[in-house]
Amino acid sequence: MALGPFSAKDHVVITTLGLEFAVAVSMGVAVGFWLDKKYSTFPWAMIAGVMCGFALGLYIIVKESHRLSQTEKITEDKKKNGSI
Amino acid sequence: MEVSETIAHHILDHDLGVMIGAFHLPITAHTLTMLGVSIVLFVVAVLLSVRGKSLLSRLLNTVGEEYVAFMRDGIVVPGIGKEGIAFLPYFCTLFLFILFSNLAGLIPQMKTITSNISVTGGLALCSGGLIVYAGIKTHGLWGFIKSFIPGGTPWWLVPLMFPLEVISLIIRVCVLAIRLFANMLSGHMVLLSLLLIIFIIGQMSKMAGVGAAFPAMGLEIFMTFLELLVAFLQAYVFSLLTSIYVGLVVHSH
Repeated sequence: MALGPFSAKDHVVITTLGLEFAVAVSMGVAVGFWLDKKYSTFPWAMIAGVMCGFALGLYIIVKESHRLSQTEKITEDKKKNGSI
Repeated sequence: MEVSETIAHHILDHDLGVMIGAFHLPITAHTLTMLGVSIVLFVVAVLLSVRGKSLLSRLLNTVGEEYVAFMRDGIVVPGIGKEGIAFLPYFCTLFLFILFSNLAGLIPQMKTITSNISVTGGLALCSGGLIVYAGIKTHGLWGFIKSFIPGGTPWWLVPLMFPLEVISLIIRVCVLAIRLFANMLSGHMVLLSLLLIIFIIGQMSKMAGVGAAFPAMGLEIFMTFLELLVAFLQAYVFSLLTSIYVGLVVHSH
């Protein structure tokens, strides 16, 4: 199902998704790098951190997309029922 | 002074070296600007709220009421719903503080304090605190903790989903801080770089420097207007995102 049309509120959330993904990966890198320094395991913890951050970023994007599509479905249903 | 040093001097915070006897007061350019913004905001809030019979007083009252109505109908109610009206004073303060802080950088001798990650981090932490407080107030402590687990999650996935959702919340707070910081810092750097183009080209040849001044100043004026727009936009986006995140926690069930 195609997404949209979106409200101004949804646009703000969508434009934030990219940054949320970037922050998730950066946090993974930072935690991995800190663990590598602490236990002298460079670069394995950092690689694991990148992978975990990437997975978390994808999880956030999928969850938000699902929530937005649900919001759109509710709006469509309301329009069909004539409540909007 | 080197170009990089000039940019760093204008953008980074620096200690003003205020001493009281042997005691060093850590007053920096950014804290001074923040104090100035707070005093201006206090005066503006008093002017907008004090009731009077004069035309100016009634005009200011109307402006204040319109502003609060805009915050309620444009940011708080769409993001949180009717439950969010209890948090309206926080959003009114947040929006005005960010807006005035963003605009302060356009005044000579003042700094854009929102181009300091510590300031935006502090504001984001306040918003994070509000998100947690709203969640606990609405659902209770146990209900708030349970709201981190999406409905229909099998029991064996709970140990994975709970930390994921908690980190998601932390990421949202970080994103609030980074978004405002990056937008304000980059705008300020572009303004400064455009001005420095004139001096860099002028070092090679004075006539070329004079020639470069016209397009550079044209771009500078354009960017200043863009910065004005960004100042309003980022204050709006920060407040709206906070309200959306609070709304997500309040309506999590």
